[in-house]
Amino acid sequence: MADQLSFGLASTRGRSSHLRRFASRLLVWLADWSMALPLLIVSALMLVAPMVAMFAGSFIDGNGQMSLVNWSDTLGSVASQRAIGNSLLLGVTVATITLIIGGPLSWQVSRMLRLGRAFSLGLLNVAANFSGIGLGFAFVAALGTYGMVTLAMQALGLPFSPVSQSSFWGMVIAYEYGNIPLFVLLSLPAMSLLRDEWWEAAQTASATRWQFWRHIGLPILMPLMLADWLLIFTWSVGMYGLPLALVGSAPRAFRLITVEMGQSMVGSLFGVNHVPVYAVILMVIATITLLAYRLIVRRAMQWLV
Amino acid sequence: MARVARLAQRIPIVLMAIFIILPMVAVLLYSFATRWTSNILPDGYTFEHWIDGFTDARFAAVLVRTLLLAIACAVLDLILVTPAVYWQKVRNPRIRPFLELAAAIPFAIPFVVIAFGLLALSGRFAPQLQGTLWLLLPAHAAVAFSFVYWAVDSSMTSAGVARLSEAARTCGAGPMTILWRVVLPNIGPGIASGALLAFGASFNEIALVQMLVGNRFETVPLYMLNLLKGSNADFNLLAVMTSVTFLVTLVLSIAVVYVNGGATTQLANTNPGRRETQ
Amino acid sequence: MSSITLRGVSRHYGPVVALDEVNLEVEAGEFIALLGSSGCGKTTTLRCIAGLTQPSAGRIFFGDQDVTDVPTRLRPIGMVFQSYALFPNMTVRQNIAFPLAVRGRRGSEVERRVDELLELVDLVEFAGQHPNQLSGGQAQRTALARALAPSPAVLLLDEPLSALDAVVRLHLRDEIRRIQQQVKITALLVTHDQSEALAVADRVVVMSKGRIEQVATPAELYETPATLFSASFIGNRNAIELPVVDGRIRLGGAFDLPSGVKADTALVFVRAEDVRLAGEGRGHPARVESRIFQGSTTRFYLSVDAGFGPIRLRADWPSRDAASVQTGDTVRLYVDPADARVFAPEARP
Repeated sequence: MADQLSFGLASTRGRSSHLRRFASRLLVWLADWSMALPLLIVSALMLVAPMVAMFAGSFIDGNGQMSLVNWSDTLGSVASQRAIGNSLLLGVTVATITLIIGGPLSWQVSRMLRLGRAFSLGLLNVAANFSGIGLGFAFVAALGTYGMVTLAMQALGLPFSPVSQSSFWGMVIAYEYGNIPLFVLLSLPAMSLLRDEWWEAAQTASATRWQFWRHIGLPILMPLMLADWLLIFTWSVGMYGLPLALVGSAPRAFRLITVEMGQSMVGSLFGVNHVPVYAVILMVIATITLLAYRLIVRRAMQWLV
Repeated sequence: MARVARLAQRIPIVLMAIFIILPMVAVLLYSFATRWTSNILPDGYTFEHWIDGFTDARFAAVLVRTLLLAIACAVLDLILVTPAVYWQKVRNPRIRPFLELAAAIPFAIPFVVIAFGLLALSGRFAPQLQGTLWLLLPAHAAVAFSFVYWAVDSSMTSAGVARLSEAARTCGAGPMTILWRVVLPNIGPGIASGALLAFGASFNEIALVQMLVGNRFETVPLYMLNLLKGSNADFNLLAVMTSVTFLVTLVLSIAVVYVNGGATTQLANTNPGRRETQ
Repeated sequence: MSSITLRGVSRHYGPVVALDEVNLEVEAGEFIALLGSSGCGKTTTLRCIAGLTQPSAGRIFFGDQDVTDVPTRLRPIGMVFQSYALFPNMTVRQNIAFPLAVRGRRGSEVERRVDELLELVDLVEFAGQHPNQLSGGQAQRTALARALAPSPAVLLLDEPLSALDAVVRLHLRDEIRRIQQQVKITALLVTHDQSEALAVADRVVVMSKGRIEQVATPAELYETPATLFSASFIGNRNAIELPVVDGRIRLGGAFDLPSGVKADTALVFVRAEDVRLAGEGRGHPARVESRIFQGSTTRFYLSVDAGFGPIRLRADWPSRDAASVQTGDTVRLYVDPADARVFAPEARP
């Protein structure tokens, strides 16, 4: 009896202390996270939740049932296939040209003296940030049918007819405007990883400039440049404002995933169920890029730090 | 000989500079042109378009609205981000992976995706929010916060905030006092450049504006899109507005460099998320 | 092996003169140390010899050949950099093989030579490591092996030991000397550490402000520095400024020297170990202000009344002999006139 009583007492005491311990642990937890909670909640609601919604939405049909109909509709439509293909092709082309021009340019800027460097960086920084609709219009103003460059060339008697802004190459040129400067700014820190001493050491070891780049410069820089290529590719695929301005009054002239998504808002209901699928495709590209980026940078840095 | 070689080395950067400057010049000239049809330069020059623009009620409203939105976005981001990063540094390092992940989302995911996701979500759970600032402002703050995060994080790291606040605690200061009197004065440049970048991101953003509020809250990029797509496109007025956005970009860029004490390279270092803000 | 000759080599950076008409003859197989404080032009001299810096004026010869306009990669040199400059993407083996590979040597020949060098610098078990996995000493030896790989005529060492801790530094210093003798190569070492220069070099070149102050063997330099700069830079010397009276310089009963200088005052340099304890009734009195035990010797800071005021002197005495001398004691000093160097004070740096 006494045993039972004491047992009972112990258990009630145990429960209340359990509660108290839980409460105090909750308080500690709240204190540990308190100052970060507002930001984390906003991020969850405004960034994570929309992504989840798009992901789930791609697998739900018009009647709210689980189905793959959105995917089969989208991937089966010739227009969608073209939009996806165009977006990827544009991304690859833009990123590759960016790498080929931006890489050497970045190297040059990294080796500039103070004044030239400050000037170049200022210019590149402005270009990298001048974007979207304004940039689209600026290209029309410069290279459109009545653009400044076009008029200038024709006034000089040259048979110059500009590529249409809404054509593939027209878009590539406009995309490069912001992307090359962005690439240079992104890759500058990598360029300073390559120490001038290594070039001097290579010279004392009888290496030519070409041998230096082949055996030392490129093996060190190339992985980092490829990581930046990936970022440019992903951002190019995801660009919205600039292509919207460029496709002009002929939205179907050159289909892109992002533009198609925008058109589905203002246009007819046709194609609305493609949107979540496009969104998931863009998210998958972004995720793969981020993971690959981290992997590549870690591999590239393993002998450097 | 060596001088020729050095000049030849400059050719790529000079070509790039021309490529960068030409469209800007074209826009500026358009904003001052009377008529421009067949010559290298406009037929005549005028301030008329600029005067027209700034006296036009819609134009002025658009500009003020966008500026206020961008300021609100930058302030909200500072309020959200600074305490969070501070807490992560001095109290709970486990916050970090969450912040990194959250910052990576607007860095990599196109804003159109976020915009459509928010549209779908708000339609389902909070239709009364659709078309209002109460949806647009937090959305802008969310997509622009990574700029503030990276800037504040790196300036707190380089200021050695963890050690500073330990020192302040041994002097008997509480967390809010430390944040306000010890941490903030030491991370001024980070706060300023983060705020400027968030301002720029919000100012130029179009996808979220178009999807979430549309013409009910016409901002500068949306106004420009409407002008560009409109049937009676006024290219001169468009050129004025483009010049204004260009000036805003220029001022922001200079300001960021200035607050970082002229360390231009820091732009690329501390803000891995510099990107086209769509 | 190759002799090296510098004739009137100068280097200007705008208005700044880094090297001012330097003339130097280095014999084949000789080990030369370029000694001086930072900014004295020693590294610039080495870089001119390597061809990494182009002289503004003057000629440089390897043997009879004028190499002034020969690009670095065609000069018969091997160089060890201050921070080693090992290629981070290559293993130790690949780093050492690099100078051979770029010369287009055959694979088997390269392998054999690299094995030989790994043996020479004692890095056989580290051949597969990357530079960031090596200790400072190992990285330094890798850099040395890479410099020696193509059997160059001249080995250039730019402060190769400055980044190492004391124990490793002493060991590697002796290693460098051993290897230089073993492979019989002309070597130039840049250093700001006088003990390093005195220990390894056949001859030491003392530099200051872009000029050569003195070229001498370590023993000469230590015993009889030729210039005021050398005297103040090498050997731990007391500098005592004293009036010249009737052509003589005198410090009480401690010393009485003929003055070789035509001035009212002269600078007398005396090494700390040459300030000696005198017997009772001889020399000059000094008060012990503090003592610092240094192992085999003990350093005493002494205050001496020179007639016009107190002078502070450092003295190093064998700990065994000076064990009983305590702070506050008065001791008697003397200096052998042969141990004192006298210079005019105008040129004091």
